[in-house]
Amino acid sequence: MKTILEISNLKKSYKGIVALNNINLSINAGEIHGIVGANGAGKTTLMNILFGNPIIHETGGYQGEIIYQGKTISFKNCKEAIDNGIGMVHQEFALIPDMTVGENIKLGREKTFAFTDRLFGRQFSFIDRKHNDESARQTLKQLGISLDPGIKIFDLSINLRQFVEIAREIDRNNLKLLILDEPTAVLNKNDALKFIEILRGMSKRDIGILFISHRLEEVQNICDRVSVLRDGKLVAQYERGEFSINTLARDMIGHIVTKAAAAKRKIPPRPIISFKHFAVEMPGEEIKDLDLSVYEGEIIGLTSLSGHGKLALGYGMMGIYPIRGEVCYADIKLLKMDAKENILQGIYVLPDDRQDLGILADQSVENNIIFTGNQIKNMFRKKSLLPFSGFIDHSQSRKHVDKMIQDFDIKCTSLNQKVKELSGGNQQKVCIARALTVDPRLLFVAEPTRGVDISAKEKILHMLLEINRSRNTTIVIASSELEELKRICDRIAVMVEGRIFKILSPDASDEDFGLALSGEGGVEHEKF
Amino acid sequence: MRINQQVYRFLNSEHLVPAVFIILSFFAWQFSGLSGTFVLNQVITRFIRDGILVLSLIIPVVAGMGLNFAITVGAMAVQTALLIVIGYQVEGIPGIVLVIIMGVFLSALLGYLIGRILNRVKGKEMITTIIIGFLFNSIYQLIFLVGFGTLIDVPNKDIILTRGIGVRNTVDLGMYRDTIDKLWLLKVGGIELPLFMILVVLIFAGFVFYILRTRLGQEVKAIGSNTETSEVLGIDTRMIRIKVMILSTVLAAFGQLAYLQNIGMFDVYTAHLNTGIISCAALLAGGASIKSAKIRHALIGIFLFHTLFIVSPQAGQNLFNNAALGEYFRSFVAYGTIALALIFNVKHENK
Amino acid sequence: MRNFNIKPPQIIISLFLITLVFLAYALEMNLVILFNESLVKLVMNGVLVLSLIPMLNVGAGMNFGLPVGIIGGLLGMCLAVNFRMTGLYGFFAALLFSLVICAVLGWIYGLILNRVKGREEIAGTFIGFSFIPLMNFFWTLAPFQNREMLYPIGGQGLRPRISLENYFNNILNNLYVIRLGDIEIPLGLIGFFALIALFLYWYFKTKIGRATIAVGENEAFSKLSGINIAQTRLLAIMISTIIAGWGICVYAQSYGFIQLYDEPLSMAFPAISAILIGGSTGKKAFIFEAVLGTYLLQSMYLFTVPIANAILIPELTEILRSFITYGIILYALLVRERRRNMV
Repeated sequence: MKTILEISNLKKSYKGIVALNNINLSINAGEIHGIVGANGAGKTTLMNILFGNPIIHETGGYQGEIIYQGKTISFKNCKEAIDNGIGMVHQEFALIPDMTVGENIKLGREKTFAFTDRLFGRQFSFIDRKHNDESARQTLKQLGISLDPGIKIFDLSINLRQFVEIAREIDRNNLKLLILDEPTAVLNKNDALKFIEILRGMSKRDIGILFISHRLEEVQNICDRVSVLRDGKLVAQYERGEFSINTLARDMIGHIVTKAAAAKRKIPPRPIISFKHFAVEMPGEEIKDLDLSVYEGEIIGLTSLSGHGKLALGYGMMGIYPIRGEVCYADIKLLKMDAKENILQGIYVLPDDRQDLGILADQSVENNIIFTGNQIKNMFRKKSLLPFSGFIDHSQSRKHVDKMIQDFDIKCTSLNQKVKELSGGNQQKVCIARALTVDPRLLFVAEPTRGVDISAKEKILHMLLEINRSRNTTIVIASSELEELKRICDRIAVMVEGRIFKILSPDASDEDFGLALSGEGGVEHEKF
Repeated sequence: MRINQQVYRFLNSEHLVPAVFIILSFFAWQFSGLSGTFVLNQVITRFIRDGILVLSLIIPVVAGMGLNFAITVGAMAVQTALLIVIGYQVEGIPGIVLVIIMGVFLSALLGYLIGRILNRVKGKEMITTIIIGFLFNSIYQLIFLVGFGTLIDVPNKDIILTRGIGVRNTVDLGMYRDTIDKLWLLKVGGIELPLFMILVVLIFAGFVFYILRTRLGQEVKAIGSNTETSEVLGIDTRMIRIKVMILSTVLAAFGQLAYLQNIGMFDVYTAHLNTGIISCAALLAGGASIKSAKIRHALIGIFLFHTLFIVSPQAGQNLFNNAALGEYFRSFVAYGTIALALIFNVKHENK
Repeated sequence: MRNFNIKPPQIIISLFLITLVFLAYALEMNLVILFNESLVKLVMNGVLVLSLIPMLNVGAGMNFGLPVGIIGGLLGMCLAVNFRMTGLYGFFAALLFSLVICAVLGWIYGLILNRVKGREEIAGTFIGFSFIPLMNFFWTLAPFQNREMLYPIGGQGLRPRISLENYFNNILNNLYVIRLGDIEIPLGLIGFFALIALFLYWYFKTKIGRATIAVGENEAFSKLSGINIAQTRLLAIMISTIIAGWGICVYAQSYGFIQLYDEPLSMAFPAISAILIGGSTGKKAFIFEAVLGTYLLQSMYLFTVPIANAILIPELTEILRSFITYGIILYALLVRERRRNMV
């Protein structure tokens, strides 16, 4: 069989953080090649490199060689990749909603009237709409779908959009390599079966397919070969029949050697907050139906692959995104999510997106730490006879901030230094210090160690443990760093597609976590 | 919430604004006491005068760049060409051809420049185009009020102020007046139909229609709908946006040429000032929004907007015995239409 | 103030100003008189520039809708004149009237701007533009009684320029003037200006003021911290509008006339360009930047007038003025958006 893509020694790092390390991979014509991996394994980076996403070029390109159809390639933008016969089906659908099905399928490759082509050139030639629609209809028919090409995309169901996107790629004559990013995640069982049939048909036409999915069973069923990525490295590669779902799951997670950071303990199941049919409409990270009780005094981890909803919980609690369902906090039903009200009630949220949501980058360490406490709880207020003045009592606040800086070892020149000048780890410490200032009963933290160096990571985990143990603050940590969760959590809830899939003990095996993350082996999950 | 949504849908429907304009125009016309024939003739004149300018706004709207207030720059480009041709006394057909060539060249160049600028201010295109228009206006004044006669020597002394520096406020275009405007003039009752010029406007409408249905047009629509996705689909969005601005500016140059030859007098420093606002308001009056515009919006809009424009001073005179009130009313309509479009559209967009 | 660094436009304008000073000296103009006038010009325009600060800092962008506040101030003054209130008493009555009117206008303006988040600048421009003809109706039809304000026979409504000669013309300009040789320092005028600056300084030190800055810097952060975004923005926009109203009062008493009708149409742009010259990024502004920018810009204009007249092209001043105004705004838009896109 002919090799169409040969990747050798591929390396890519973003600002010193390694995303891909020494990847060697080849794809043959007519092969369906599966790629599996947990968050941060490097799947997205690999796709971006192959499809010429400009972000790769803007962040300094990559090292290593990619030979595609016998030539060394290095795409600067998606257009070059498309012109060279590489196609991609995007997880978030790259369709233009205001245009019709036919227009979307034919975009960039429209059939035009020949004489206008000669007369005015390629870009200014007049489109033969009828012909295009007919041709689009034919392509859709190949997929076994009869759909009017004149319908606009936003009138279509999600399932149909997926097929339109496939149709657009199939319609291309020069297609040699197709990248599929989580293509079946949105399809129901029948459609997924149909979809896989289509893929098989394409592979018969000698198109190489790179199939990225978290559904291990699907991968097992249709892929000729599977590569497993973990932490930017290619850790395993199997031929069809050589592997089971369990091996994939184990390879994905890897063997984690953890030393528990704190002694095991038994938490009495007394809920401080419980969610019933809770839903948060956060685009791309939606929670669909969450049922969860968080016990008073515990640290509970919340993990999932990206896009499956772990990050939305905190935002939902602060009223950033619309919510549905029932939340009971300290035996009182929370009717609407109002950030101020919730902070006063003792709930605080530290967001995952530190730069955009977590800090006031242009302000001092002091201001950042005392901001919420001062604004919401009127702490550090200067006593004054004048009404409305509300100046800050700096002697009080400085004492507090100095203590925080000492306690948590925040590395800054002074408490007047701007937060944007601090390192990521110290910014995170500032965030946690701010949370502590408000002294919450229930703290939601998302991705606390993302973009943080090793030593700061340890410090931050210890801070969280310390807060939990000394103040009995209940902490919900949403994180994709399973290893860290296993070290500090009392329980770990795994989410799949916006629901709690399983709640595991931190001692559970790697295989269990791998399977749970992929949504395999569960009872309530609709299986493919 | 539901009621609110219904209200928004109603306010966003493309028939609402034209309907309001029809009602307002009708009543204003009734109060003005002007004859229907007079109003119709005036509106037809405005149609051939402003038509191309309004059409030049459509492509940027489709590309998601909003209302292009910088069409004044295209207008200034062609005025520059005109002043140079008159200043160097190139007459007759070669003169007109030269104006067109220079106008197109200059406006394409400026359009490219504007496109480059707008690529750096994505999401703030409209305020930027307003400022660009004002800025170029002062450069234009600098050239013709200060530069002409000092740094630039002009052979034709008739257009220069008596002090020897700067171009006069008005330059006569008598040689062009009533030439092509009266071509193929058809009289139906009291109504005069300058068929040739109407045809010219329709040809430009056809041109815009054609452009939007070419490969380029498809890409323009795509980036107007979603820029990020278009990028992923292999469309060079920055280049398309530059091309859109070039097209719009060149069309505006033609539009201003049609405008000036119709008026026959050329107010050197003021002729272009309001083209942006008036054309945008006319387009919106036809039912366009800052996110979507079609050719029919432009054509209907000119009729509706200018009917109101023509009758309101007289209506003000008759109603309040004060023509100024009619003037205020029409400025209010022009600015207010745009303000409302901005306020309500943004809401729509956020959904 | 904090982290203040000099940016290219300031260098250009400063160099230009220095050249002009030399040129004026060479043309044997009286520099002392020009300096005296520059102080008056600073305050005359400076309050309007100060009024931009709260809106910039709350993240509502450059206030192209400045005419809204200006019209409130004009109305306040018209009321004071109508009731024939004169002197300091009249001036402060005008301030009081405009305070009330601008608070209401600012509240409505703020509600609208809260709906068009992210597009405040373009929306503000057209809200201002369309408010002017609407008010022209009012100026024409409102039942003002003071004959000195109305058109002489043959016209209807208020006249476009109402003289303040008999009311509070130059009331602040002439308040506590200190003379040091030929140099005149109008302490009353500068004191008034300083009071407003001090008020702003105090406002940004209060709790709500700190919240204002936080909202402008990072709205999502503030929302997570439980700040009521809409209210904070509304208050900042109201303060901006009120100070704008006062700004036109100061301007008018200095100029000697209340200018009605289309006069406020293009007043927003010079004010905005002043604060940008002062070094504001168009996203955040300090009081010092407003003062510096106004002073540089106004003194420059002051010098260009006699010089342009001397070289026989009087229009040059006006053209140069608008060129600088719009050039600097465009520059700021480009720099600001590039910075935003880079993040």
